[in-house]
Formats: sequence, structure tokens, C-alpha cells
Amino acid sequence: MGRLKKKGEAGAAKAYVTRSAAIKKLQCSLADFRRLCILKGIFPREPRHRKRANKGSSAPTSFYYAKDIAYLAHEPVLQKLREHKAFAKKLARALGRGEWSSAKSLEDHKPTYRLDHIIKERYPTFVDAVRDIDDALCMIFLFAALPSDGRISPSLVENCARLAAEWQLYVMHSRSLRKVFLSIKGVYYQAEVLDQTVTWLVPYQFTQSIPSDVDVRVMLTFLELYQTLLGFVFFKLYTDAGLVYPPPLDAKKDETAAGIGAFSLQDARSPPVQSSAQGSVKAVAVDGKRVSGKDVRQTIKSIQATSGPDADVDMGVSEPVEGQDEEDFVLQASSSNPQEPASLLTLQSLSAPPQSSTTKLFTPYTFWLSRETSRPIFEFLVRSFGGRIGWPITSGSGSPIEESDESITHVIIDRPLVVKENETEEERDRRQRRKYVQPQWVVDCINAGKILLEDTYAQGKTLPPHLSPFEARVDAYDPTATVDAAEASADEDEAAEDEAMEEDEEDTPEQAALKAAANARDAAALQAAELEAEAAGVDFGSFEKAAKKATRKSKKTAPQEDVAEQDMNKMMMSNKQRKLYERMKYGEKKRETEVSTEFCVELIQVMIIVLRSV
Amino acid sequence: MATRAIPKNTKKRKAVVVEEDVPAESSFPQDVGLELGSEDEGGADAEGEESDDGEVDEFPEIDARSDSEGPVSDSEDEEDEEDEEEEDEEEDLSDDDEIHIFPKAKTIVSDITGQPKRVYPDIEPDYDSDSSTEDAPNRVGNVPMHWYDDLPHVGYDINGKKVLRPARGDELDKFLETVEDPDSWTTAFDKKAQSDKPLSPEELDLIRRLQEGENPDAAYDPYEPTIEWFTGKGKEEVMPLSGAPEPKRRWIPSKWEKQKVMKIVRAIRQGRIVPNKPKSEKPQFYSVWNDEPSTHPAPLPAPKPRLPTHAESYNPPEEYLPTEQERKDWEETDKEDRERDFLPQKYSALRLVPAYNQFIQERFSRQLDLYLAPRIQRKKLQIDPNSLIPKLPSPSSLKPFPVYKSLSVPHQKGRVRTVSVSPDGGWVASGDESGVCSLWEVLVGREVKRWKFDGKIGAVEWCPRTDVSFFVVGVEDQLHFVVPPNLPTIVLTATLATLCPATLPPQPATPSPVKWTSVAAASYSTDKPVLSVALPPSSGVPKQLTWHRRGDYLATVSGGEGQGGVWIHQISRRHSQAPFQKVKGVVQLVLFHPTRPHFFVATQRYIRIYNLAEQKLLKTLLSGIKWISSMDVHPMGDHLIVGGYDRKLCWFDLELSDKPYKVIRYHTRAIRSLHFHQTYPLFASSSDDGAIQIFHARVYNDLMTDPLIVPLKILRGHEVKEGLGVLSVKWCPRQPWLVSGGADGQVSVWCS
Repeated sequence: MGRLKKKGEAGAAKAYVTRSAAIKKLQCSLADFRRLCILKGIFPREPRHRKRANKGSSAPTSFYYAKDIAYLAHEPVLQKLREHKAFAKKLARALGRGEWSSAKSLEDHKPTYRLDHIIKERYPTFVDAVRDIDDALCMIFLFAALPSDGRISPSLVENCARLAAEWQLYVMHSRSLRKVFLSIKGVYYQAEVLDQTVTWLVPYQFTQSIPSDVDVRVMLTFLELYQTLLGFVFFKLYTDAGLVYPPPLDAKKDETAAGIGAFSLQDARSPPVQSSAQGSVKAVAVDGKRVSGKDVRQTIKSIQATSGPDADVDMGVSEPVEGQDEEDFVLQASSSNPQEPASLLTLQSLSAPPQSSTTKLFTPYTFWLSRETSRPIFEFLVRSFGGRIGWPITSGSGSPIEESDESITHVIIDRPLVVKENETEEERDRRQRRKYVQPQWVVDCINAGKILLEDTYAQGKTLPPHLSPFEARVDAYDPTATVDAAEASADEDEAAEDEAMEEDEEDTPEQAALKAAANARDAAALQAAELEAEAAGVDFGSFEKAAKKATRKSKKTAPQEDVAEQDMNKMMMSNKQRKLYERMKYGEKKRETEVSTEFCVELIQVMIIVLRSV
Repeated sequence: MATRAIPKNTKKRKAVVVEEDVPAESSFPQDVGLELGSEDEGGADAEGEESDDGEVDEFPEIDARSDSEGPVSDSEDEEDEEDEEEEDEEEDLSDDDEIHIFPKAKTIVSDITGQPKRVYPDIEPDYDSDSSTEDAPNRVGNVPMHWYDDLPHVGYDINGKKVLRPARGDELDKFLETVEDPDSWTTAFDKKAQSDKPLSPEELDLIRRLQEGENPDAAYDPYEPTIEWFTGKGKEEVMPLSGAPEPKRRWIPSKWEKQKVMKIVRAIRQGRIVPNKPKSEKPQFYSVWNDEPSTHPAPLPAPKPRLPTHAESYNPPEEYLPTEQERKDWEETDKEDRERDFLPQKYSALRLVPAYNQFIQERFSRQLDLYLAPRIQRKKLQIDPNSLIPKLPSPSSLKPFPVYKSLSVPHQKGRVRTVSVSPDGGWVASGDESGVCSLWEVLVGREVKRWKFDGKIGAVEWCPRTDVSFFVVGVEDQLHFVVPPNLPTIVLTATLATLCPATLPPQPATPSPVKWTSVAAASYSTDKPVLSVALPPSSGVPKQLTWHRRGDYLATVSGGEGQGGVWIHQISRRHSQAPFQKVKGVVQLVLFHPTRPHFFVATQRYIRIYNLAEQKLLKTLLSGIKWISSMDVHPMGDHLIVGGYDRKLCWFDLELSDKPYKVIRYHTRAIRSLHFHQTYPLFASSSDDGAIQIFHARVYNDLMTDPLIVPLKILRGHEVKEGLGVLSVKWCPRQPWLVSGGADGQVSVWCS
């Protein structure tokens, strides 16, 4: 006889533990448990039978895998948290007794923990980490824009801002930005790093304040993990790209709101002297390098702008080979000492995948940002697609070009058109030479992968709708497909015409031929009808029309029979299949109504426009 | 002496306290105790204990008080007192300070013996002196009182007279006493007096103390002041305990400590220990992915949030903007119930776009999702829903089957309960609830004859024989055998010979409650039934009639009776018998097997198959239907369909299993009737939703192939009246035509 099975000794009862049981097992507070869960990426599970997992109770609780909790029990961070608890007690005791020296020595030996091993555990390979940095980037960009207060320390905000700038620098450097979307929530960016799409959302530049219903401690715990994760990811990305990590920051520039311009990418192969003697050398080096590199670029640009094709021509997908050369040259010039000869091609630069021409979309152009446009957004966009950009000093320092620069081809402006009265000759001349476009043009160009016509985006014009580049579903409603609407109306016309035709009963040979076409069902019959029509002297256009109509009609009748048959066949489905079928049909119908309502709205608008024009 | 006194005193702390607290009581001279405490120590202890816990012990027997016990202990002690007088003189008087009832004794030198002796004063018989005689008249002593149980007295008083048992009332008196006397709860039964005695306040206090878990001694003070014996003022120790001089090690530095310190000093000097050395830190970031990744699979990445659609654009196409109604709806729904968390908005320029006020909340809720939400891995089905629909042959390839209504015959009053088609397929008999049975032609719908019966008609069935022609009509408690008009002579004579033969068969030995009456063959008319079978009274309307395929046996099921109401009638023997003594459940339907001597009986939920030849139960089919309404067997005999009021239709393969091969539910209301076609592979079901469903049902002779069931056509045309639709369907035997009778009083013929 087998041993009797006792209840609660195997299966779900053993595999799951409730949260309170987990806390009891780990002997830590709820806050510590939450922190551990966030750091280790442990989340509750939904047992198949809640009652079986909870010893027969159906009380609402969250369940964790018992193995997850056992795994947490060996976590070094948990040990450190316990040590910290003891430390806090000791420190409070020392402070309460006024033993300042011992408090100080305690403080010196404060237990701290590192998250390296957690990063390694959660992301065994680098690609895993890159795949999962979406949320991290969103948080970093959010906190980089937050004002510091009692809960959010200034150093944290500073660090977030630094990480955000480092990421942007890397994306610009590697030309990996793919899609941009200006939404009401913020700006969505999508980059492709190591074949992984990384999407992040950056809020618009306004002061945010943390609302009271948000638990900052949770966000800070996440941020702690994210900062570490991004640090390691960036380190790897930078070192793989042959750059020094962290990129040196020019404090003086940073003070003057230079933004990402305050950081300089430094080649790891450059002599170490430069990086070791940071303070003074950096500023000089940065300035000197920047200026020289820019000079070179500028000259090339100006040459190209004068000799190349006119800027308002719709730039094709292909780019002259010259552009490629120039790009490489610019890269080397900016990354290494300009005085030294350009280094030989290394394995790294050889193995770098050939960048598609869309990443050099703005290479031939130089942009000037108007005061009211957001510099961080457009500086990032333009520079990641190879363009040059300048901005007025009110948007921050570090602009490489002045407004009077001759090389400027586009001005990104977001204000209504105002006629300037006392305009000098020079100004007018300049205005006519430059294209004044609204900010959406830049984003739409990037999403389209080509330079769009500037006229529709010109200053003061009503903009065409800005569409999401992320709309991926195949059967989703496509607002650009306005052709269908026209076709539908044409169909209606045809139907009316058809009825009219049927009404007059004159049986001329032409009519008969058309009717034959209308009645023709299969290909052979159609061919015969066509021949007949030709003989009767019907022009091919009207014949084709009739044939099309016929096929449409037959399509209409055949499905009706089919539907009745299918409806009857449905009764032979099993219950399970029927339920599945009904669920799928429900979803399909819902999507269809969504599309159709939007289509109807558009149709109404088209009709209104038509009526107005009439 | 003093050392001896101490433990004693501590032991009897209570006594000391009493002495201190109540000086008035110890107002008599100090030496009283000397004379009193004449016992030895053991005795004193014993007595002390006695006096302490004596009160506890004696609780049930009330009169054993300390004062009455006093003399007893006294008398015990008296033997010893002479010997240990001196010792006792020193004894404190603690023991019996409560028992200071004894009169003072004087010690005088006896005139006779010359020894000192104590002389007690005479007892003055006043109230104070001694109350023992009044209180305890029973001097029976410490004997079990049950010795006196069957005696009229309970003991003897001091004079040796019997103390009579006090009158004790019965239980009712006791109860009344408890009601009337408010103090009755403070009384207890006294065994010696054999009566209830009220408890004294002291005793009540003692009881209260015991109940509350306090010390039972009222005089006990848990917070008495400490008595300082060795410490306190004037008792300081002035002399050291040890006269040894202070050792040297107390005032020279430790050698070993010095060695340890020097070790550290040397290490510092040599640079082995660096005080306040900055901690050697690992670099904050390094190439963590350089070494070999672990073989563990990476944990599943969290699902990525949804990507923004066109609606989220700052400048969406016009059609995405919500209307006023949509906006209002969105604002009114709760945050959790909203389909999307934002309202599309349009701004003419990028500079006009404000900050998104839910930004941080959304980020936060995403984080909550990441660490608080259980995750489930779901497989997404990437199939066309239409591929789930079974592929069946097209109905057009399975013709012929009825598709249209060719004619309909109305019944003026009442619902048409039942229809039956003659075996040659030319005639239909239909019966309605008003008792009208009409006979009409299938082809043209002309009514040939009409019969009127008393009460509603439950069933009509043609005899399946082709050499004779008649049908049976079941009405209240009666079966009528009716011969249609205009029969050919041969058929008519054969019919009459069958129904009313010239020589009646012999009556069976056991008389049956069913009476057969027939008219004489000569006086036959088509207006009246030729043969009538009177079922036992109050058996109700026959719900169903079914013929055996040979046309000799007829089974009826009627509602009311106890034994299931099933009768099998044999025409040739003019004999009826009930096949079942007792049936579990109410029989709904019966059927003869088309080829074998099997008999199907459907109760409310089960179908039982009996072998009539061997008289035993073969099989019970479990339909899963809550209430069976109809049943038919395939002409081959291996398949059975069963319909129920709960809309289900079960197809049983009798060779296969007791459970249905297929259960289908397609009617929207209860199934009323089912019928297999005799020759075509068709069957029809009718329902209260007014529809008739035609199926193609092909069964195969080999056991491996499953029967093919294809729905062919839904015939609509009957109206639903009072919740009832099509009550009966029957096939024409030779054509793919269907006859249906409905609750709307119409009988329709459906042709292909």
C-alpha cells in the first residue's frame, strides 16, 4: 500500500507562499521586502487555484513562488539590509548618548550594498540588459527633469541628468535613432541598439511635481536599480564603441546650460595623459577640438550647400558617396586629436555595420532653432541624423553657429507668421535663402525616412496630422488611406448608374453585351462576354466597369449562402470551440467597429469639405 | 533562640502583622501567650496550619469554626503542656491570637501534689462565655452522616438526647425558598445539622477571595515593609570582610595590555596598519558582462508597455478627436474602467502642448505593475476563427430534403398534438387538443373525414402493416382503433378480421384491468371506432403510442398511473399487459427496437433498454438531459436520438457507449419531437421556437466510421403560440417530405 498523501504537502500548497508568509520567512520588514522584490525582479504569481495555494482560504492575498522566496533568503542585499538596521540602531544610540566620535566611526563604516551581482543575475547577457532598458530610460529622463526637494536629492537629479545625456550622446554617436513621435504625453523615441528596439518617453520641458498619491520610495528604489543598470549598460556600450566612459563633463559649460554639449566623447585610444589631467586640459582640449572639428565640417558643409542640389528638392533615399566619406572624416576629427593624423581603421570600425542612408538624413543641412522651440529635443534629433544645429544664447550656451551663419538652410520656427516692418536688406535676403519650417517637419521627415516638402510645414501653415510611426497592427485603421473613401463614393455612383441603366429597358446589342458581362461568373464566360462586347462595339472601359460590378455582385450573393451554411455548421462545433470562436469573433467585431467609426468620421469630413468646395 | 525565632517569624508573617496592626487585641498581658502557646513547635505549626487552612477545609461544614475547634486542640495539647512549659514561655503568642477565647488561667501550687498547676476560672453562663451549646447541639462527632440516613434523628446533643432531623421540604420548597429568600444564595448545606445554614460574612469574604484568586487570608498584606536586619541605619558593616592588602596588580599597568598595544604601535610604525585609510573601492562601473554568462536561462523580460497610436499624437487626424458625448462618457467612467488613459487632443502648434499631468502617475503605475502585478504567460492564438467551424459537405450535395412548405391544413380549435402518416404515405391523421382527429391527403391536403372524440387527443398512430389499414387514437383512458373510409375491399375485410374477428381469442387466465370492446364486423361504420381499448381508469391521456414493426403489438405510455402507465397491447390476442411491475422514475417514452426484441424506455433522465424475450435490463443510457421529451431510433437499430426540454439533442451509438456520441444544442427552445426517415438518411427535430431542423444523418455499416451528421435546413413557418411551437413532426415513408403539426393549429407538409 502506498503512503497516504497528506493535504498541503505537495503541489500548489508548497509551490506558493503568501506575501506575509514570505516576509515572516525572510524576517524583514514589508518595506525591505518590497525593496528586495524590486531589485531582484521578483513579482507575484497567480496560482491556478488560489484556494489550493492558500490552504483552503480564499482571502485575497498575493502569492509568490516559494522558490523565489528561498532565493531571496540567500540574497547578500538582504544581509546588508539587516546590517543596516543594526547600524541605524547603533548610530541612534551613539547620537543619543552624545558619543560623537563613536558615531563618526560608525558612520564611516556604514554598511552599503552593491547591485552588480543582481544586474548580472537578472541580465545574464548584455543583450538581455539592452532589451530591458526601456523603463529605466523613461525613469531617468523623468527624474532628470524633476526639481529636487526633500525626498529627491540634488545629486540624484544630477546623476539622472548625466545618464540621460550619456544615452543621448551614445545614440547620436551611433546614429541609432529610428523613430520619433510627438504625443500629448511627451516625445517617444525609438532607437535600435544591438538589434533591439529601445523605446523611451521624454516629458516635455515643464516643471513636474510629484503628486501625493505616488509613493516616492518605490520610485526611488526602482531608480536605484535603473541607475546601476544603465551605468553598466552605458559602460559596455561606450567601451565597445571605443569611447571613454564616463564621458568627461565640462563643468563650466554645464553651468551655462549647455546640456549634452557639456559632455565630450573621448576616444579610449587617445593618450591617457589627457584623461588623467582632467581639470584644465579638458576645457582646452574640448574647446580646441570642438572648434577645429567644426571648422572643418563647416567648410565642407558650405562647399556642399553651394555646389549641391537645391535644398528644397525632395531628397531621395540614396545619398552620394561623398557624404559617407565626409561622415567618417567628421567622426574621426571629433573623436581624436585633430593634430594627429587620422588613426588607421580598426577592427571595431570595420565591423561596425554600414549605416543606412536614412541615418544621414540631415547631413547636408544646417538648422537654426528658433527661441520658442525646445532645444534638447531638436538638438538631439538633428544631431542624431547628422545635421548641424545652432540655437540662440537664450536656449543655452554651446551653439556651434551664429544666427547670421551663411550655412543655415532651415530655421525651425514655431510661431505664427508676423510681417516684420523694418527689415534690413540683409535680413530679407537671409530670410529668403532659408526655409522656415515648423518643428513637426523634422519629426515627420525622420519617420518617413526622407526629406519631405517644406511647403506644407511652412511657418504659419496649418499642419497635416502627425501620425504615430508605431501603429503596427495590420488591420488597424489607416488615416492616410483616403483613396478608399473616394472609391466608396465612386461605387455608390456606379450603383446609381446601374439602377438607372436597368430601368430603361432598351435592349440594344451594347446593353446586351454589358449585361452578359454583368452576368458572367467565371473567367471563361467573362472572356466570351468580352469578345461579344467587342463585336457589339462597346468600349473597353465600360465593359470593364460592368465586369467589375458583376464580380462584386456575385461576391455579394455567394457569401450569403455561405453564411447560412456556416451558421448551420456552427451547431456541430463543440462547446469549447464555440466559446473560442465567439470570443474571437467578438474581438474582430470590436476592431472593425473601431475602424469603421473612424472611417465614418473621416468620410463625413471629406463630404463636408466637398460640400464646402461646391 | 533568636535564630530560631527568625524562620518562625517569617513563616508566620501574617501573625506578626496582625499583632502590629491590631494592638487592641493584644491588650492582654504579654505573658498570655506563654500560657497559651503551650504546645511544642510541631504542634504549634500543625495548629497554625490548621487554623490557617482549617477555614478553607471546613467550608461545607459550617459550624466547625475556630472557636469550636479551640477546645479540641486544647484538649490535645494539654498532655504535653506540662513538659515543655519553659520552652513555651518564650514562644510568641502568634499562633492562637485569634483564639483568645480561653479564660485566663492562674498557676498555683497544688496543695496535694505540691506541683504548680493551672486553675481556670469558673465559666459564667452568660452569652459571651460560651456559645457552643447553642450553636452545635449535635455532638455526633466526626462520623459520616450517611449513617443516619434512614434514621429519624441526626445525632445526639450534649445530653445524649436525639437531635431530630430538621424538616426538609421537597425540591419545590427549595426552589421557592431560593425565590423568596433574597439571602438564600449565601446559605450552604450543613451536614451535621442536616439543614441549610447561612454563611457568615467572613466566610463569604473567603469565598470571594478564592474566586478572585487572591490570597484567602484577609489579613495577608503583600506590600508589607521590609524588615531590615543587616542593612540600614545603624547596621552598617564597619569592618572589612577580608584583611588582605591591595594587590600590586591593581595599581601597575598590565604587561599584557602593553604588549598588545605595542604590537599595534609597531604595525602602525611599519606601515602595516594605516589609520583612516580610504576604503579600496571597486570601480563603480566595469564590464560586468565580460565573463562567461551563467547557464541559467534569463528571467522572462517584463512585458513592454503599449506603443502610442495615432490617437496619442499632439496633432491627430480629426477623426480621432472625441465628440462631446465621448468626452463626457470618458470623464464619467472611473479611471480603472477607461479604455484608454487619455483623451485625444489637437494642438495647432508644438509650442502649445502643455505638460501631461498624468505623467508621473503613469510611470508609477507601470512600476507597480512591474513589481506587484502577477504575470501570466498567455499563448495568443493566431488562427482564423472560421477554421474552427467544422468542414461539412454542402447541403446542396445532400439533396433531396424538404425545403419549402407545400401546403398546410388548419385545425380550427386547439393545438395539433400529433400527426401520423399512413404506411403507404398517402394519408395523414392529425389529432388536436379539442378532440378532433382529421384524415387528409398528403398530396393535396383535402380533408376526407373528421372524427370527434371526448377529451383531448394525446397520440395518433397508423398501424405499420400494409395489408390492413387503420390507425389508433389515444384519448382520455381510451384507445380507439379507427378504420379510414374508402378502403379497397380486400384491405377492409382484412382490417375488420384483424380488429373484430368473428371468433374472439380465448380470454387469458389472469383477468386484465384493460377492457377490449369491439363492434361486430357486420355493423361496422367509419364514423365510429371499430375497436376500443379501455385503459384502467384515471390513467390519463396516452402520451405516446408506438407500434411494433410487425403491427401486432402496440405500446402506450400514459401519464397518471403508478406503474409507469406503460401497456403493451397485442391485437391478435386482444390482450394487454403491463411489462413492468415497478419502474424507477416516471416513464416518458417507449420504443420498440426495429429489428431485435428490445424495448427502449425513457424516464426523465435515463434511457433503459430491456430485452423483452429474456426479460432483463440490457443497458442504461446516460443522456445528460434534464428532462427527456422525445426519442427515436434509427431504422438500422444501432443509433438512437434523444431530445430534451433543455434544448439538447443526444446521438447515441448503441454499440459504442452508454454516453452520447454527440450532444448538440441548436434550438433556442425545448425540443418537442424527433423522427428518423425510414428510407432516406434524414432526421428532423422540431422545437418550441417554431423551427424544424432537418439533418442529414448517414450511418455506416462498418464500426470504424463515425456517423455523419450534417445540418441541412431550418424550416420556419409555424407560429409560436403560448410558448409552444412545433409539437410533432413525421416523415412520409417514401418521399423526403415532412409533415408537422404545430401549436398554432396548422398541419404543414414540407416538400423537397
